[in-house]
This record gives sequence, C-alpha cells and structure tokens, in this order.
Amino acid sequence: MVKKRLYLELENCIGCRSCLAACTQCGGHEQRNRNYVYDVNPLKNRQTMPLMCLHCVNPACARSCPAQAIQIHETGAVLSALVEKCIGCQNCTIACPYGIPKFDTEQNLMYKCDLCIDRTKDGIPPMCASVCPSNTLQWLTDEEIEAKQKQFNLDNGKWVTSMPYLEGETNVRVNLPGILQGVTKLF
Amino acid sequence: MQEVNTKAPKDKFFREIENVRHPNETLIKTHCAYCGMQCGMNLRVNTKTNQIIGVEPRYDWPVTVGKMCPKGVTAYQQTNHPDRILKPLIRDDASLKGTDKGFREASWEEAYDLIARKFKELQGKYGKDTLSVFSGVSMTNEKCYLTGKFARVALQTRYIDYNGRFCMSSAAGGFLRSFGVDRGSTLPWTDIHETDCLFIAGSNTAECHPTSMFRVWNVQERGGYLIVADPRETPIARRADVHLDLRPGTDLALANGIVNLLIQNGYVDEEFVNQHTNGFEETKELVNQFTPEYTSQITGVAVEKIIRAAEIYGKAPNAVVMFARGIEQQHKGVDNVSGYTNMALVTGKIGRPKSGVATFTGQGNGQGGREHGQKSDLLPGYRKITNPKHVEEVCQVWGITPEEMPQPGVSAYEMFELMDQKTIRGLYLLCSNPAVSAPNQNFVRKALKGLDFMVCVDFYLSESAEFADVILPTVTWSEDEGTVTNLEGRIIKINKAQEPLGESKPDWQIQVELSERLGRGKYFSHLKTARDVADEFRLASKGGYADYYGATWDKIDKQDGVFWPCRDEEDPGTPHMFLDKKFYHPDGKAKICALPYRPPAEEPDAEYPLRLTTGRVVFHYLSGNQTRRIQFLRDMCPEPYVEVHPETAAKYNIEHEEYVRLYTRRGEAEYKVKITEAIRKDTVFVPYHFGHEKSINLLTIAALDPISRMPEFKACAAQIEKLEMKKVQ
Ligand code: SF4
Ligand code: SF4
Repeated sequence: MVKKRLYLELENCIGCRSCLAACTQCGGHEQRNRNYVYDVNPLKNRQTMPLMCLHCVNPACARSCPAQAIQIHETGAVLSALVEKCIGCQNCTIACPYGIPKFDTEQNLMYKCDLCIDRTKDGIPPMCASVCPSNTLQWLTDEEIEAKQKQFNLDNGKWVTSMPYLEGETNVRVNLPGILQGVTKLF
Repeated sequence: MQEVNTKAPKDKFFREIENVRHPNETLIKTHCAYCGMQCGMNLRVNTKTNQIIGVEPRYDWPVTVGKMCPKGVTAYQQTNHPDRILKPLIRDDASLKGTDKGFREASWEEAYDLIARKFKELQGKYGKDTLSVFSGVSMTNEKCYLTGKFARVALQTRYIDYNGRFCMSSAAGGFLRSFGVDRGSTLPWTDIHETDCLFIAGSNTAECHPTSMFRVWNVQERGGYLIVADPRETPIARRADVHLDLRPGTDLALANGIVNLLIQNGYVDEEFVNQHTNGFEETKELVNQFTPEYTSQITGVAVEKIIRAAEIYGKAPNAVVMFARGIEQQHKGVDNVSGYTNMALVTGKIGRPKSGVATFTGQGNGQGGREHGQKSDLLPGYRKITNPKHVEEVCQVWGITPEEMPQPGVSAYEMFELMDQKTIRGLYLLCSNPAVSAPNQNFVRKALKGLDFMVCVDFYLSESAEFADVILPTVTWSEDEGTVTNLEGRIIKINKAQEPLGESKPDWQIQVELSERLGRGKYFSHLKTARDVADEFRLASKGGYADYYGATWDKIDKQDGVFWPCRDEEDPGTPHMFLDKKFYHPDGKAKICALPYRPPAEEPDAEYPLRLTTGRVVFHYLSGNQTRRIQFLRDMCPEPYVEVHPETAAKYNIEHEEYVRLYTRRGEAEYKVKITEAIRKDTVFVPYHFGHEKSINLLTIAALDPISRMPEFKACAAQIEKLEMKKVQ
C-alpha cells in the first residue's frame, strides 16, 4: 500500500463545512466532528480555512499527556485519547499550538481527529478529504505532493505550515504560500 | 468488495478506491436529494433494521468522485427524521388555515374519498379548470411526467405549472431562442476543468453547486482564467482573475458590452458566424452603443475590468460561459441568457469539447422535470401543447383524443393571481413550498388561504402545507426509484434504499390511486411500479427534442448515465451538443440575439434607495423545508441575515449583528445585520430559505419575464430602518 498523506491547499477553501459534516460519518467518530473551519476575516471577505490536526511527528499533545493516553498509530496518525488511560486533565488541549484536541466534559475524555484511522489504515481517504468539494483537503502520495511543489515555482521554498518553534515536522502537508503563487498563465 | 469500475472513461480526478463496509451494513448507490449537481453517494443501510443510517462517498461517480457538500453529507437524515408525516392528515376546521393547527390523522381511504368528493364538487360547480396542480422538480422524471398526465387526464384541467418557473424557466427560454433546444449544458462537466477560461455570471457556485469547485479551481491551477460577474464577492468571486461587480439587474448591459468588445477587437469567428448563425449584423449594430464607458455607467463595473474580461475571453483558445439564477431570476432573465450566450456564438466557442455554454441547474431534476409536461404549455419530450402534431403524438400514448387535451394554462405565479380571482378554487400541491419560495408572499399566502380546497403532498409539514385541508404523506428520494437528469443533461438513476416510512407512498402511486377514485383509472391503473411509469414515460418522450426513449435503466447503469437526446437502444446518448455545428432551429443555425437593455422593473429612488438581491447559502436548499430540519445545517445557519457593506451600515448607524427592519413596497421583515465588504455599497443581500415572518419573499417583486414568466427575485428597491434598542447578541 502506497503511503498517502492529507494535503491542504488552504486557498481553495470555500467555507462549506462539508469536512465537518463528513467527520461525523466516520465509524469511530460517534457523530462528533473533530476539526475546525475558520472565517479568516469575516467582516472583510469570504475567505475561510480549515484547521485540521496536522498529525505532528513529535506531537505536543502526546508529550504533554501525563498518562500516555495519546498513542501514535504506525501510519503516523495521532489518535484520540484512550478511554482507559485518559485522566481528563486537559493538558493536551492547552499544549497543542493549534487547539485541536476537544474535550467531552460528560465523559471526562479528550477526543480529536484520528485521521479516520478506520479508513486510512486500509488506504481509504479520510472522510474530510473524500468529500471536500474544493480540493482544499486532498489525500495524496508523496510523489503527487512533490509534483505539486514543482509545479509552483515558489520563491520562498516554504511548504509546511508549522514553524520549528511550533511543532516541526508534520505528517499532514500544507501549501502555505497559496495555490496561485508561481502559476504561469496559459496566455 | 467493490468491483473495479471499467465503465466510462474517467478523468484525472478519478481514483480507484474501495468503500468502507461495516458489519451488518450494505451500501446503496444513488445520488443526492438536492441540487442539480446530483453528486453520487452511497447510502449506508443497516441490514438488520433495513434502515438508512448514514452516507459513504461514491468515489466511482465520474462527475463528483465522492465529493459532497454538507447538504449531501447529511441528506440521509431526512428519511427517518422525527418530523416525517406518517399518515394522511385532514383538517376539518378551515378557519385554522395558515397555521399548523387542527390536523388529525386519517386513513388513506378517508383522505382519498374526501379529495375525490371535493374535487368533483368543485368541478361540477365551476368547471374542470377550477382545479390546479402546482408541482416541483425535486423528484424523478417519472414522477414529473406522471404529474403532467395526472393534471391533464385525471383532473382534466389546463392549470398545471411548477416551481421551475422560479428556477430554470429563463435558462430554458434563452436556450430555446438561441439554440432551438434547451439542454442546460452543451458539454459534460468533466470538460470544465480542461477549459482555458471560465466566464461565470450570476452563480454563487461555491455555495450553490459546491462540487463544481474542484474543477473550477483547477482551471486556475493550470494557468487558465476565471471571470465572475456578481454583485457580491462570493467565495468564487474572491479568487477570480476578474470580478465584474455589477449592480443587480444590469447583466444584459454587461453582456452587450462584452460582445461589443469581442466584435470590435477582432475575436469574431467569421466562418462560424456566417455558416452557423443568424442575427449577427443586427446584434453588432445594437451592441455598438455599449462602449466600455456606457456599459460601466449602467453596470457600475470599472471600465478596465470590462475590457480585461472581454480580452481574456476573446483570447482563450477554449472557454465556457456559465450562469445561474443571478442572471435568470430577472424580468429580463431570458434576454440575459441569450445575451451571455451571444459571447460564445460570436466567437464560435461552442460545439466542441472544452468550449460551450452551461447553466447551473438549481433543483435536482430541474433539467428533466422541465422537459416532460409539468409546464403549463409543454408535453413529454419537450413537446408543445399548442402544436397539434405534438398533441396527437402524446394522445396516442395516453389513450385520449386530441379534443380531450386541455388548453395551455398559465405560469406558476399567475396561478396565484387566478386563485385570488377565484378562477382557480382547488389546488393539488406537491414537491414545492411556494409559501416560502414564491415572490410577493403577502399576496401568495392570501391566495392560498382563499382556496376552497387544497391538498398538499409532502413528507414534512411545510409552510405551504399549513394552508392545506388534506396533507398526503409522500416518500423521500431514498424510498423510491427512478431517473433524474442532472445539470449536464445526463440521465441518472436514483435507487431505493429503504421501504417507505409509516404509511407514506411515492407520488406516482398516490396519483394512480387518486385517478382511480376520480373514475379515470383506465388511464392509470396499469402503472403498478416505478418502472412501469418509466417505460410509459420513455415512450411518451420518444420523437421529442428531449428524447429519452433509448435511456433505459440498464444503459444508465452501464454507462454511468446517459446524456439526452438518446433516441434508441443503440444510441449511446449525446454528451457534447452541436459537435456537427447543427443547432435545433429549422434552418440548423443558432441565433445571435440583438437585445435592447432594460433596467430592473423597480429601480432605487429616494424612498427605497437600496437594491435588494436574494440567493442561497451553502447549508440550505430551496425553501429550507428539508434542510432547516437537519441539525448540522441548522446549527451552521439557523436564521437569515441581511448582508450590508460597512459604509452603508455607517450611513444607517447600524452595527454587525444588530436587528434591523428591511422593507420594500410589498412587505417587511426583521433581519440580523451581517456587515461585510464583500458586497456592493448600493446592494443588500438576504438568503431566501426561511419561512413565515422571516421570508425575504415577503419583500420581493413579482415582475415577470415576458417570455419565461420568471419573477425578478434578484433585484428590487428596498430600505433599511434601525430598530430602537433591540440589539441582540
Ligand atoms: S470541506 Fe473543504 S472547502 Fe469545505 S470547509 Fe472543509 S476544507 Fe473548506
Ligand atoms: S446539494 Fe448539490 S452539491 Fe451538495 S451534495 Fe447534494 S447534489 Fe452535491
């Protein structure tokens, strides 16, 4: 099975929140959505962007967990807290620089994006990337991602969103400079 | 596991993906219940309870490759929703009309008896035409077809029309005039991302047809251009290479201005124009006055933008002109359609792959539903009720004589006028919610309330059902099967995933049973299944422009849909129209139309200085009768709002999230203010999906297009008033 990654083309987002609606449809998700879509500057324009778990290689949420409740799957997906281990301290919700982990006060349990591990462990795209109508969220091989990178003759060479002082390398890739930068017009 | 799909050629977005299958679940392939995109989806059905429990992407559908907007993702929640009507409802106390009070459950027997008695009584007293049918196109071709037959053969009335008058009628009128045929898109959607320029007018594509967006963005990613004409900087306009931010209701001037520049600057395809079109010289002369400066004066769009847009479209090797309700829901909607279509005709960018003209069909079956006889003057196969030969052909299928065929009726809005005048006293309403979606609501609601007898067929108690004497419970799209025609003109198959909930029945079955009660069983009783209706319908369309005869359910499945016309078993259908440069006018030529500009019916003045325009949001569909009941969608957009530019807001001294009174000559409503720079300063916008006192159609104008009879939902004059001390958080 070729490894695929979640790839984000932020400039494409149309704010439809289909990713959130679809998130509830994944088997293990108990009808709760796990990520966010923000209006970037609502009084000014209609720009929106999804804020997805980036599945950091060395995730702050897991590091901050005193109970080792946050496991990393062999695919690299940073999973939801294990029910039997999570002590409900909410350290992770504070530690994550993007505020991804959510907290269920009733169950006293953290839950977060697990990259639809039920699907992605078998190479099936996560629900969000399956439905995203604008291709903001895509499920690509490293080769496909590299091809995209080449296509946009980017001047600053930056390709990931998280800076070293935040979380370093992430499993999810983000096209930060924007899809239209460096595109050569046809005519 | 999923068989490998080897059907139609797939484009670059297609990926072979196996679906997830959970234990005790089966997947039923179908399409979304809502818009004309008709995104493919799999409904997840629990094999123990036989109930629909969720959705799984349909990666193998070539148009949408698994993608869905939030309406599609949550559409399955309609089926087993607690608001479903499970038994017929009768209201004995007519004084409660206009409320949801006073209904009692009844048996189908009692409901049918009552309807048959009342219908006969009314027709006995006032003549056959006292009854009317108001229908819709969010249902299968088979149901749309049978509804036309039901009105004319069972009820024997001339008065039938449908909600497509508020949706696709101007596109239909414009295409018929320009091409002689009305297929919403001249090319398949899988061409769109391969074109070099998209010119999109009056379509908030990102919200109304979201699953087109990955193709739209791909045009830009390839280095192609996106031009968007819209008074608002919608999510698609935000990224356009040129955003033509025109005043609502001035499209025709913009179209003429661009056609003028295309002609002046040498982008005319002379050979194409000479051989395959009429009307070029008159049009050239007429658009001559639409200089960039004059066009700018009328439209409010900067001169440079108009010039740049024309230059890009002119230079593009391939280009597609697309539009939607923004240009069509005007009292010159038909002219706007022909006006923008002129761009493709003068430059010859039509009748070949990757170039053409398309409208974004609003309702799921907005295309098919308008072709097969629900329109006041049409019969199956896009035949005319005023054409004796057409009438003869249909009579043969129906088993009636041409003398028995009723005359043409009137358009949707005009039916309310006839109700008000008591020419129409009875109504059979299905698949529509005009008490939200029709313009000039105060009048429409009064007309509904004044009816002697009204039947409403729906699966939820809609705002319109509140005016009914009898409500018959029908099924959702997932509890029956049949075909719909998507926005490409591709006939596709909707499949049944669950048995009808409660005592609900599909519309075709209700009509057959009611026909029997009305003593017209001999024309209907042979229709025992949806497939029976399908077979008769294909036959009735045979030989018409919109010929579906060769589009068997089998072929639809094998080919991933069939594009009409499809005339016989061997015919694979017609994905690209006009490849032979033959148009459907008798001389085989297309018509370039010379169209004098007219302003909107109601222009702003001192009393009503703002332009009001209306539209959709991504979270709701049409009148909202379905989507407002779905938790996720309601959470995302619980109430309407008025979009106001910050400078305009400052003038009125109103703030973000403050409630204000918005009013026109026809009505008023209170809305929460949403301040945004993404709208013209002279324009305000309100989404139309909400009912009762929140309906923006209390304010809209019923100025009708002379050809399509489309009301001008997109432009009227309005004023804002600040409410004192009513700031709500
Ligand atoms: S589904 Fe895609 S386009 Fe829609 S909000 Fe999510 S990321 Fe944005
Ligand atoms: S509403 Fe339209 S775009 Fe959304 S999922 Fe349904 S068919 Fe697709």
